Amino acid sequence: MALFTRTTKNLIIRIDEFFDNIDLGVLVFREGLKAYLEKDMDTFERHLHKIDSLENRADKLQREIENEMITHSILPQHREEVVKLIDVIDEIIDSAKSSLNEINIERPDIPAALNKNFIALSEASANTAAELVPAARAYFRTPYTVRENLLKVYYYETETDKVALGIKKIIFQEMPELDLARKNHLRYIISHIENISDLAQKAADILSGMAIKILI
Amino acid sequence: MILLFLTSGLFLGWSLGANDASNVFGSAVGSRMVTFRKAAIIASVAVIFGAVIQGAGASDTLGKLGSVNALGGAFTLALAAAVTVYVMTKFSLPVSTTQAIVGAIIGWNIFTGNKTDAGTLSKIVSTWVTGPILGALFAILLYVIIIRIKKASKIHIFRFESYIRTGLIIAGAFGAYSLGANNIANVMGVFLPSFNLEPLDLGLFFLYSDQQLFLIGGLAIAAGIITYSKKVMETVGGNIVDLSPEGAMVVVLAQSLVLFIFSSSGLSSFFVRSGLPPIPMVPVSSSQVIVGCVIGIGLYKGVRNINFKLLGQIAIGWLSTPVMSGILAFFSLFFIKNIFGIDVGYKITDENLQTVTATVYSGSNMSLIFKYILLGATASGIIAALLYYLFERKKMKEFRLAEKKFWKNMP
Repeated sequence: MALFTRTTKNLIIRIDEFFDNIDLGVLVFREGLKAYLEKDMDTFERHLHKIDSLENRADKLQREIENEMITHSILPQHREEVVKLIDVIDEIIDSAKSSLNEINIERPDIPAALNKNFIALSEASANTAAELVPAARAYFRTPYTVRENLLKVYYYETETDKVALGIKKIIFQEMPELDLARKNHLRYIISHIENISDLAQKAADILSGMAIKILI
Repeated sequence: MILLFLTSGLFLGWSLGANDASNVFGSAVGSRMVTFRKAAIIASVAVIFGAVIQGAGASDTLGKLGSVNALGGAFTLALAAAVTVYVMTKFSLPVSTTQAIVGAIIGWNIFTGNKTDAGTLSKIVSTWVTGPILGALFAILLYVIIIRIKKASKIHIFRFESYIRTGLIIAGAFGAYSLGANNIANVMGVFLPSFNLEPLDLGLFFLYSDQQLFLIGGLAIAAGIITYSKKVMETVGGNIVDLSPEGAMVVVLAQSLVLFIFSSSGLSSFFVRSGLPPIPMVPVSSSQVIVGCVIGIGLYKGVRNINFKLLGQIAIGWLSTPVMSGILAFFSLFFIKNIFGIDVGYKITDENLQTVTATVYSGSNMSLIFKYILLGATASGIIAALLYYLFERKKMKEFRLAEKKFWKNMP
């Protein structure tokens, strides 16, 4: 019995820590992109290192959670879904890290006129992921509140799509001075930022189904 | 020879252990929340305790239905019941050991010309119906309480699951205890009038004649659990796993409560002292009670598609099992008496009522045999528990080493 209690306690701590990492990772991504747009490369580098360590820790926690859930047969009926959810949420921080790394390597030349739009895009995308975390936490304590928490996720995801579409329109229709290669490069960066909200939506869909299933 | 006569009862006990243990631990083992080995050990110990401590109540009622006054008769009845259970299980028909033994006793009554006590019979039959209904009511009540506590406490799902896991083990142990207490009457009840053994001094307490028989029956049930219930738990138990873990625990707990109520003479006395009618001490079918519990939760959750086919099968089982067992017992008694010339019992009249006790098998030799059987079983149990502990310890050590190695090599 003592083994169960210890394992359960460890698992709860690990899951909480995992979500903390995702929360922080999303915040670091937003601040990192902002620093890049403001040409503050020292802060950008600092954020890049920070997200790198957060992502590594999240990966390790994900493996530990999965491992403990299987070996100790925790939550056997919902284990696969929980493991999948953790996996998809981990992809969010993976994507955030990969986006900042791409920006660091490729150093896209973002026109100053689009700074505000890019900040709005990163904020909307980061908000989608940030709102997913309390919903995912709620699954473990108050599953009946998950769906109301998810409403914000879907709202910010739609916002992200709108902002991304708006920027693409500006780039391709209102900025003839930019050559096609630069336009394509910017579109690629937009897709990267947008990907975070898409992954958050994917996780939200899984979570929504899980919440119904656990309540029945 | 006397022990040979007991084999049919032991076979019945074995099949009861193999089949009915799944009602108690099926959901826990089927959902892999509790390992089979752990479940089997807990269930075996609890079932023996239940049989020895509390087995007398339900056995008395069966005795009133028909006091089988020859060992040959008891052997034949237990065999007829066991064969009925086996055949009906083989054809996937719902079967209850209780109903089989009741049918066999009625068969004996008809064969020997004894009158079946209508009052006792109606008391037994009424509990077959009230058992599942009571199970459903208990299940709903317990489920509502647990769900409300879960919602109000905002407990972490993992912590809740850990409590449920512990709850499943405790409820399972209670269930196995109640199963032993209630259903031992089916296994050994018919043999009781034929045995009068010397009390066995165990230092701290005495084991009286009935309790020694119950102990042997309990050991047979435990053997059924250990040797054959794994498969049943993993398949039959799977039907209950569709419920949430808390639902599964509630079902086991509600079923255990029903079995406990129908075998607790202390509770019945308390009812009488409180001015309420006494609770009948009757062996009930754990399989049918558990179906009642599952349906109770289904009704509470608003499930519309209740399996009426299953309900119909149970209702048919109420009739077909005792009839089949009764007919089989009647013809078996005929063959045993007329072909093998073995005494299967006689009609109890006012004249020979006093001589009934004189036909019992007693003596210090018999008691000595039972003492050795008990010592042997206890010693085997201790050795098995010790081996299990060492095996588990070794497994855990290997697992910890593998874990350590894995995380050491992890980038």
